[in-house]
Amino acid sequence: MKLRNSLFSLLLTAACVLAGMPASAADSAAPAMAEVVTTADAAPDTRALDEEVQAIKKDVVDLNRDLFILEEELLFPANTQVAVFLSMDVGDFFALDTVELRVDDKQVAKHLYTPREAEALLKGGVQRLYLGNLRVGGHELVALFTGKGPQGQDYSRGAQVKFEKSVGAKYLELKISDRQNKRQPEFLIKDWE
Amino acid sequence: MAAAFAMAAAGVAAAEAPYRLLGQTAPDFALKATSGTNFRLSEHRGEVVLLTFWSSRCGQCGAQLASLSRLVDTYRSAGLGALAVSVDDDPVAAARYAIAHPVSYPVLLDPDKEIARTYRVDNLPMLLLIDRSGVIRHVHRDYRSGDEKAFLERIKPLLDE
Repeated sequence: MKLRNSLFSLLLTAACVLAGMPASAADSAAPAMAEVVTTADAAPDTRALDEEVQAIKKDVVDLNRDLFILEEELLFPANTQVAVFLSMDVGDFFALDTVELRVDDKQVAKHLYTPREAEALLKGGVQRLYLGNLRVGGHELVALFTGKGPQGQDYSRGAQVKFEKSVGAKYLELKISDRQNKRQPEFLIKDWE
Repeated sequence: MAAAFAMAAAGVAAAEAPYRLLGQTAPDFALKATSGTNFRLSEHRGEVVLLTFWSSRCGQCGAQLASLSRLVDTYRSAGLGALAVSVDDDPVAAARYAIAHPVSYPVLLDPDKEIARTYRVDNLPMLLLIDRSGVIRHVHRDYRSGDEKAFLERIKPLLDE
């Protein structure tokens, strides 16, 4: 994060310096001209400057995005990268409160859900719960879900999966859905091959 | 007498101590409220937030909670919100206290004191004023009757921003 922030500040400074250059050059070359510029002539100049500023802002946003991607590639190389996502479907029989994630018996993530976050998941949002690095080989993922069950009672359930981390990024999805025939929630872990 | 003097001196020292998080973005957190609902600080971005740390065993905390409740009631429509984080070891005691002294904003539970540590809480009560962009702008340690006026002087410019 620090790396990205410093790179971002550097690029922002460079962009500002570059944007300022033509204006300063113009000022020093013809200072007398500025005095005779009428307001009617100034309007198009302002518009052009505004467009230029907007273009620079867009470039900075694009650069920030690229730096973010580069930072992720640097911190989580594809060879060791593991990402765990969470999605929720329907949710009539389960109101999500917390999810705790353990990889090889070590807690790697814990998230407390606000009503707004739970609603976003129910509307089809997918949350990246964890992004980390794991060695090539066999690993075990355990997810513990707590919340309110079908009758509004406290409800806690776990799901686990053993997976093989090979060369290349690994993506796993925790999926909470309703099992209509049993009127119970269902917790699945899906391995995205 | 000597002990009371030492405590008062420590209180004054804490009240005057610089706060290291001042001017920085308030660290985000999510905590469970006494009502059972979860609250996340970042979901209040765009509001001026009064974040206070308190305990049911602290003498002045109850008075401060009530004072903040009055302020929130008056300025809610202008974008003022509040979150009170209890650092009681026993969440039941905190919940019982919150029920006995109802306030118009969420009372959150931090029994592990994880959030209190993140916010470097060195005094109770301790009030932080967070602006609309999520930056900690003021810190106020302790509470005395009449502090409400001082709070208001600091809150109003933040609401106008």
